[in-house]
Amino acid sequence: MANPVIMPRQGQSVESCIISSWFKNEGDEIQKGDILFSHETDKAAFECESEFAGILLKRLYQEGDEVPVLKIVAIIGTPGESIDQFSDESVDSTHEGIVSVESKEVEDFTAITGLTVARLEGEKIRITPRARNRAKELGISFEGIQGSGPEGRIIEQDIILAGKSDSFATPPASSVGEEFEIRKLSNMRKIIAAKMKESLQNSAQLTHHTSADARRLLELRKKAKESFEKGASENITINDMVCFAVIRALKKHPMVNCHLLGDTISIFHKVHLGLAVDTDRGLMVPTVKNADDLSIQRLAAQLKAVADNCKKGNINPELLASEAATFSVSNLGSYGVELFTPVINLPQVAILGVNTIINRPTDLGNGVFGFVPFIGLSLTYDHRAIDGAPASAFLREIRLEIENLDFTI
Amino acid sequence: MPRIQNIDPAKVRKPSQITFGNIPVNQYNKTISQEQNNYSTDDFVRIYRDMVIIREFEVMLNKIKTTNEYFGIKYNHPGPAHLSIGQEASAVGMAYNLSIEDYIFGSHRSHGEILAKGLSAIHQLDDTALMNIMKNFFSGSALKVVENGHQGSVKELGIKFLLYGTLAEIFARENGFNKGLGGSMHAFFTPFGVYPNNAIVGGSGDISVGAALYKKVNRKQGIVVCNIGDASMGCGPVWEGISFATMDQFRTLWKGEYKGGLPILFNFMNNQYGMGGQTCGETMGYDILARIGAGVNPEMMHAERIDGYNPLAVIDAFRRKKKILEDRKGPVLLDTLTYRISGHSPSDASSYRSKEEVEAWERADSILTFRDQLIEAKVATPEQLDSITANTIAEIKQTLTLTIDEKVSPLLNLVKSPETISAMMFSNQSADRMEEGKCEVLIPMDENPRVKQIKTKERFHRGKDGKAVSKLKQYQLRDGIFEAIMDRFYKDPTLVAYGEENRDWGGAFAVYKGLTEALPYNRLFNSPISEGAIVGTAVGYGMCGGRALVEIMYSDFLGRCGDEVFNQLPKWQAMSGNVIKMPVVVRVSVGSKYGAQHSQDWSALVGHIPGLKVVFPATPYDAKGLMNAALQGTDPVIFFESQRIYDIGEMFHEGGVPEGYYEIPIGEPDIKREGNDLTILSIGSTLYTAVKAADILKEKYYLTAEIIDARSLSPFNYELVIESVKKTGKIILTSDASTRGSFLKEMAQTITELAFDYLDAPPVVVGSRNWIVPAYELENYFFPQPDWLLDAIHERIIPLKGHRVTSNATPNEQIRRNKYGV
Repeated sequence: MANPVIMPRQGQSVESCIISSWFKNEGDEIQKGDILFSHETDKAAFECESEFAGILLKRLYQEGDEVPVLKIVAIIGTPGESIDQFSDESVDSTHEGIVSVESKEVEDFTAITGLTVARLEGEKIRITPRARNRAKELGISFEGIQGSGPEGRIIEQDIILAGKSDSFATPPASSVGEEFEIRKLSNMRKIIAAKMKESLQNSAQLTHHTSADARRLLELRKKAKESFEKGASENITINDMVCFAVIRALKKHPMVNCHLLGDTISIFHKVHLGLAVDTDRGLMVPTVKNADDLSIQRLAAQLKAVADNCKKGNINPELLASEAATFSVSNLGSYGVELFTPVINLPQVAILGVNTIINRPTDLGNGVFGFVPFIGLSLTYDHRAIDGAPASAFLREIRLEIENLDFTI
Repeated sequence: MPRIQNIDPAKVRKPSQITFGNIPVNQYNKTISQEQNNYSTDDFVRIYRDMVIIREFEVMLNKIKTTNEYFGIKYNHPGPAHLSIGQEASAVGMAYNLSIEDYIFGSHRSHGEILAKGLSAIHQLDDTALMNIMKNFFSGSALKVVENGHQGSVKELGIKFLLYGTLAEIFARENGFNKGLGGSMHAFFTPFGVYPNNAIVGGSGDISVGAALYKKVNRKQGIVVCNIGDASMGCGPVWEGISFATMDQFRTLWKGEYKGGLPILFNFMNNQYGMGGQTCGETMGYDILARIGAGVNPEMMHAERIDGYNPLAVIDAFRRKKKILEDRKGPVLLDTLTYRISGHSPSDASSYRSKEEVEAWERADSILTFRDQLIEAKVATPEQLDSITANTIAEIKQTLTLTIDEKVSPLLNLVKSPETISAMMFSNQSADRMEEGKCEVLIPMDENPRVKQIKTKERFHRGKDGKAVSKLKQYQLRDGIFEAIMDRFYKDPTLVAYGEENRDWGGAFAVYKGLTEALPYNRLFNSPISEGAIVGTAVGYGMCGGRALVEIMYSDFLGRCGDEVFNQLPKWQAMSGNVIKMPVVVRVSVGSKYGAQHSQDWSALVGHIPGLKVVFPATPYDAKGLMNAALQGTDPVIFFESQRIYDIGEMFHEGGVPEGYYEIPIGEPDIKREGNDLTILSIGSTLYTAVKAADILKEKYYLTAEIIDARSLSPFNYELVIESVKKTGKIILTSDASTRGSFLKEMAQTITELAFDYLDAPPVVVGSRNWIVPAYELENYFFPQPDWLLDAIHERIIPLKGHRVTSNATPNEQIRRNKYGV
């Protein structure tokens, strides 16, 4: 009876072997112990000895073939014997498989998820550093946000979602029937309220309006923008230019660069310019000290620096005092405001409101009319300190400075 | 298991008996007059002078330690001073016949040996060579100090230099022999053949054997003397060193000029106490230490006890034993009997020995006895010998004054240069070979059967047709390691590789298959099962100037070579003040399937130790590149491998593993897959666990994970990881090590500090359980599984919609596990 020679299993982890060389050919006579072929695993090489005597009837694999272990490699028997029974058979039935651990049923734990954990009232808000930073960046208050992270922690995606839905500021009404939410005023709000009321109650404010031809401004702005894009350090804005013009006008009209204190008036030699800045927490007016010493570039840089510091909340508080500035500028032009009456920061005696730019029909000469961009200027002054005529002269000075503005970019 | 040596049952089962020869004890009995043919008057006087110098040097140290004063010179030395007052004759006798090429290694109590060998070297060196050594050492900074105002010979200057360099080292001064970074217990000076002394008892027991191996393999002149104490006979590494040194193969299998015993002399400076334990009579059982030699090999290690209180007896013994070593019949064991009159350290109250005993030995004092003998034999007059003492005191006073002067001998200035020690932790050099020369190999590389076999393999895990290649036909991780090592054997003539089953077997994990055919025994051999000696000898081999690649088979065996890996290998570069380099790579394999003592990832243990570089590649490309970098460098590298993935193919590096040489810089992690939503940082084979988890995250939860393979543990450049965390805000770390105290914890903490503002969840560590590693069938409950990663992400980082957990990754469970320490 013919005997199958199988590929031996060389160790537990070996799944197949490569036949390196055959030492016997089909038809060769085989003795027990003859080396039939050599085979190798990735670790070592072995030789396969015959356990049977007879004729090598068939070699089922060639040199270089990879043979799974326990497969029949060759058949030894007597000449002419049928080998059909081994044609496509393996001895896999004897395969001792390793128990597959992966397939075992695993006991289910109940999922404990953070998705539905609601925060109890008064509980500390849990928010990741990344989410907190993102909220600040997007100007989003996270107090009302329901976190979706583990145990209700607010994570970045919650902030992004809140930013998209615009619903972040007003959390869903918690009790039925309430039409509004009661909030305590922040300290900042209280201070602004008191200051504004004090200003309007304790001074004699009125506002003059005019407008300046803005063609020069726009031309300079275009150049400045180009230059910044090419690598200039400062991106000089329209507001920077207006402030620059205001400073020059103030130098010519020192009576506007004043503090009124009871029965004395302090006329400043230097210009300390206040700039109204809108922040998350409310209006702030930081000061650029000695602004009349600055080139337009440095003025732009400093205005940007103090405004940024206000937004970040790390402005030097001394620069926020209304006594710090000698004159202030408030620019609402970017909001499209055409005309307004800014409120003076006492003890300063005037403030310039800067409005949006509007194209207006203008006599271009020789009876030709065309549309020219004009920037609106609103000067509020304290009539206790300044009369109407000098205030108007100062306003005209600003207009002329703006229309004839010149500096090197 | 060399096939050429058959073990014949008929022969080894035959009845017989072992007979031992005689071991001489204190046989030397010559007088000065009888020795006058062998020594000149100058020789006798010089022996006396050397003993006096050593004695006075230590008397000074003793006075400074106990009274803060020596002849009115005040100083407080807070550091250690283990004195050997009483042992001078042993030290001088040992060094007398040693040449510059003979190296000595020592113990914590080796001031006397340093000075004795230094004095011997100064005597032998001609003036030009001596001046050159002094001028070149640390740009002559120590020489400048002693040269100032020196009148006299170059040799006298040499002695001042020796005393100053040694004392400055003991007092931690920058001008010390090792910039003050070795100190009293570690001082050494290689140009005089003084190699590291060792504060770990018996520490030199295997390191010195490595030095002898270096001399043998690289055909260097000289012998190696391992000076260790009698009590170190109780230390494993000493026995391991002796076993390694007496391997039969040096005589049976090593060929040609490499044949024969290692040139090492184990010299036990037997002062009869191990700190306070009396070795003969209390803590050991050998009665006479030299007896040990009888049990080691048929030559009985040529063991002998000699009278270490008689310098001439010691000189005589060393002359005879050196000859044995030069005839390649070593190793030799000497039991040099002596006595330490001083305490173990100045705080020693000698409560363990009687006053009578100390007084008896004081009466037998070697210096006084030798002085009387010299006078009696009319070799020298009392006045002559008194003037030696007076001169010595003057020299030591001057040395002390110079050493304690902050202006002349400042400490390292760590205010001005705060990173001075940082700069010495690693030598960070790139060297194709440690020495020029021909690489001894048996066949050209391209005729090697393994090399030929690898040539037929597919070097990427998919073939050109895009189909997966079978394991046997693909280039595996073990092939990557092999290629790098093979390449280095043909580049660096000093490279040796050894460990258990390295030869013939081809390494337990078939990494070295093919190396046996390529290399002679003197470059690749099997060691005893002595992990301590495997690493310890590599330390000695490396510090002498060779490159060693050793293997300890399993990570779990790190405990067996704890001192060598933790105290010796990492420390000597910095402790030498950057005088020596340590180009030693230790291969450590992390097992699986083999249960609690063969499957642990202990990378955190070595990651913790300053002075080691630690890498753990997980792909064939990285394995080859990191092994190349490790073997190109000059620093100790612990090279972790994982048995799970020796057969893995290259799945990440496009184009497969390059055939040529390239290096992966040690310390640089690698992004294996890019992603935006979460970072997974893996160490070792959990890279593939991470890949599986990332696939599920993508398919089921629409999250893309960025997978970073740490590749190295130390050094480690965090920049890549931080950039990834800035992008994703979330990171999970995984490795096969037990979670508590794993290196992932170190990484997670560092990432938290560096990327706190960008984190959208705490960094979460998923390691193995704090258990014994269970049987293979239960391993999935122990090692991190892809599901564990998903569960941890779900519970601690970002809830995954619809995810059902299979493991408990909740904070409460974490508290519970820690509470019970499991």
